[in-house]
Amino acid sequence: MENPHMQTWRSVLAVATLGAVLAGCGSNDAPADETAAASGPWSFTSGNGDVVKADKTPSRIIAHAGEAAALISFGIKPVGIYADEPVKTDLNLKDLDLTGITILGEEWGKIDVEKAASLAPDLIVGDWWPAEKAYSGLEEGVDEKSKKLAELAPIVGVSQGESIVDLAEGYEALATSLGAKVDDPQIAANKKRFETAVTAFKAATAAKPNLTAAGMSPTDEKVYVANPKYAPELLDFQRWGLKVLDPAAPDKDFPYWETLSWENADKYQPDLILWDGRAYKDTLNAEFGKKQPTWFEIKAAKAGAVTAWPAYWLHTYGDFATELEKLTTAINGADENIGN
Amino acid sequence: MRTSATNRASGLVLLVALLAVVAFLSVTQGSRSIDLTDVLRALGNLGDDGTITSTVTLELRVPRTLVGILAGAALGVAGAILQGVTRNPLADAGIMGINSGAAACVVFAITVLGIQGVSYYVWFAFGGAIIATFLVYTIASMGREGATPVKLALAGAAVTAGLTSVTSAIVMTNIDALNELRFWQVGSLAGRYTPILVGVAPFILLGLVASLGLGRVLNGLALGEDTARGLGQRVGLTRAAAFGVVAILAGAATAACGPIVFIGLVVPHLARFICGPDYRWILPYSMLLAPIVLLLADVLGRIAGAPGELQVGVVLAVLCAPVFVGIVRYARLVEA
Repeated sequence: MENPHMQTWRSVLAVATLGAVLAGCGSNDAPADETAAASGPWSFTSGNGDVVKADKTPSRIIAHAGEAAALISFGIKPVGIYADEPVKTDLNLKDLDLTGITILGEEWGKIDVEKAASLAPDLIVGDWWPAEKAYSGLEEGVDEKSKKLAELAPIVGVSQGESIVDLAEGYEALATSLGAKVDDPQIAANKKRFETAVTAFKAATAAKPNLTAAGMSPTDEKVYVANPKYAPELLDFQRWGLKVLDPAAPDKDFPYWETLSWENADKYQPDLILWDGRAYKDTLNAEFGKKQPTWFEIKAAKAGAVTAWPAYWLHTYGDFATELEKLTTAINGADENIGN
Repeated sequence: MRTSATNRASGLVLLVALLAVVAFLSVTQGSRSIDLTDVLRALGNLGDDGTITSTVTLELRVPRTLVGILAGAALGVAGAILQGVTRNPLADAGIMGINSGAAACVVFAITVLGIQGVSYYVWFAFGGAIIATFLVYTIASMGREGATPVKLALAGAAVTAGLTSVTSAIVMTNIDALNELRFWQVGSLAGRYTPILVGVAPFILLGLVASLGLGRVLNGLALGEDTARGLGQRVGLTRAAAFGVVAILAGAATAACGPIVFIGLVVPHLARFICGPDYRWILPYSMLLAPIVLLLADVLGRIAGAPGELQVGVVLAVLCAPVFVGIVRYARLVEA
């Protein structure tokens, strides 16, 4: 029997792993510096702590969607990409020039490993998910055949761990190790914009020391409350002064969330709802209030104190800066006396 | 005759009482624990006074319970009618293509029209179920001898296979549709509030009333078509009427809750076991037994899954699968 919690989260994850890294990748999809890449030996410490080594620097890379976009932003062009949805709609990939890159999958859990093998890859790149102890594309629940991807080449990825900063730095380090030049002025500009955004975010939370928030994702059947422990961006928010509440009883089999029935929708009363950004639309709060009798039992929902939360998809400074700017605006406008 | 008419009638009264008890449980028990006095106060005031206990009781649990009663009764009766009219002890709404028709239409709504949400699926599911049943019946009716049980089963299987492959083809290329459908396909009473109740209630009530008139003709059909014809029945007309009622009942129930399996299959056998082979009794027994089983499974799912919930489709599959195995074995014994 499939676990419905997981499946819901999967649908969300499908969008999540898009890892939009669009900032600054419009014009610099030049191929990696082959001369630098040809040297070796090469090694990289992956998200699970393993040190992956090779005699020469890998140059034929297969990467998961968002991670591929991150590498492309540093000028490393993969030979193959596996995505969780059609690359035409994938938020990371839809605006990128993918000519010359083989698409190996456009649905979560399904990778064409035979086609992948024909590309003779020497490296696979996907995020490491500590809660599941698996790389993107190889998690529990994917097609067993897809998992054979891991047999084609060593696999590395940065951990979805403590902070988005680690992810951004990690992919920059990976790109550097693969021979990329990371001195594009756009990269530096994004870093600067990110630092400014963090300062503004900290100032906003300091001005409202009692403001509480909760990451939430309501669906027709259930309400999901995010567990910051496994959401690096929520940990960042906590670190920078926003009191994102920790659910008391995260689901045992899938600890990213605590699942609440609609009868218990009011279990948590934050001042501000951080709505899963992968599903967020401005009209959704009113819609849920209308169709779910208990949604407005959450005082923040009733007061319209909701904002999008960039859930599980950030990989770069540029995207994080943009999202932080939006959140800062929401925090500045928030009322710290709505919830309990 | 296993039991006298008086006994059977008192059995029905007993089942009504049992249904009332289960309905009471369904309103008072849930993943949120609410004091009995608060529940009773909310029921007594019969208006949402703004407290969460009153909202949960009146806007979540009461409509959910009523949807459960109606959908359960509809599925039980539809299963009994189908088993009678097709003389197939393993028939339920699924073999008529109802679930696959509803699923195909729901997928159409998601992918082509971009609609998402349980409350919007109702009419698509209903329409799909009706269309599929009509298709099955029309295909089975071709040829001189009309819609015989064997041809109905074959047509049902063919239409189901065809629709399922179309549905699969679409959802395989559209992960959003796949996820939406996966949820809908388990079958659940969660999120079924007043608008859905009001939407399907007239159809189900109409179907239930109509079904009670079918008992005598089903008894005739159970003797075989030639005998029924010899008894002066118009077999073709009876069958068409029975299918019309099944389409409305099972279509509306599936529209409201998604495809709920096993109820339509198992409950008529339970009814037959209790009251014997007379469809004039099997139909009302199924009508009462099915909602009892469905609500009980739903309450169990709510308690076992707290603070979340288990979908009733999952609970039913766990509860009814062994019963189903029992039926298969029992049927084999009878054959031997």
